Amino acid sequence: MNNKRVRNIIEALGKHKDEESIQVLNELGTNCPIDEIREMTSKALIRKNTHEALEIMIVNKGKGINDLSARVAMCAINELLALKDKEEAIKILDDTINMHSEKEVQDTARSVKALMSFSS
Amino acid sequence: MQKISPLRTSIEAFNKFKASRAQKTQQADKTTQKAQTNPFGITFRGTVIQMDVFEKTNKAEKAENTGLNVKERLQNTGKLLASAWVGTINKFSSLKTNAIAFGNKLKDNTVAFGKKLYEIGNTKVEFDVFKYNVSRLQNKPVSELKDMLSCELQGVG
Repeated sequence: MNNKRVRNIIEALGKHKDEESIQVLNELGTNCPIDEIREMTSKALIRKNTHEALEIMIVNKGKGINDLSARVAMCAINELLALKDKEEAIKILDDTINMHSEKEVQDTARSVKALMSFSS
Repeated sequence: MQKISPLRTSIEAFNKFKASRAQKTQQADKTTQKAQTNPFGITFRGTVIQMDVFEKTNKAEKAENTGLNVKERLQNTGKLLASAWVGTINKFSSLKTNAIAFGNKLKDNTVAFGKKLYEIGNTKVEFDVFKYNVSRLQNKPVSELKDMLSCELQGVG
């Protein structure tokens, strides 16, 4: 595996206008066993700042802010905090806090929302 | 009774010396004739040289020597031939060893060269800087990017 090539492909998919790129990143990037790849995918999806991409990163258990790797989760949270337009992210976080079936995911969303409200 | 005079005594002594000298010369001549080794009667410190310092016979005579000499010569020739043969065998064996070593070295070099050629043949010459440029990749269709990413992640997991 060539790290630089993978990084560039993921970055290109993150900047791609086609909505299919989100599905590709979700399918190949977030399910990759390598932390570094998942970290890169989280950054690329959050930077898209679309409803579909942010939903994958906030709602899904074991992905994005709910990743089992603390490093990947913290990276996703940092990326959310760095967003200029946080409106869509806060909306999804609110929905997750109120409607998600998993308490663990709800708690994580609540913590991230608190951080985001402090940072803005 | 004769009167002893110094002149007579000296003459007698001289005669004795002369007689002994003549006798010695005769004996030396006899020996020379017998041995036929010193035809010129060359002496060294008064003694006639009787050693075989001169060539006794010529080559024609040597060839007509007895059967024993021929046998010895044949034996000597055999010995010479045998030693020459042993030397040749040694030379050939060393040549053989060198040739085998050279052949093995040649084989090893050829195998290494073949491997190198095979590696070069399987190497893809790519310019990653241009092919994997982000702005260039962005313009490609997602399906192609998906294939590229899955190809890169093939060996993982």
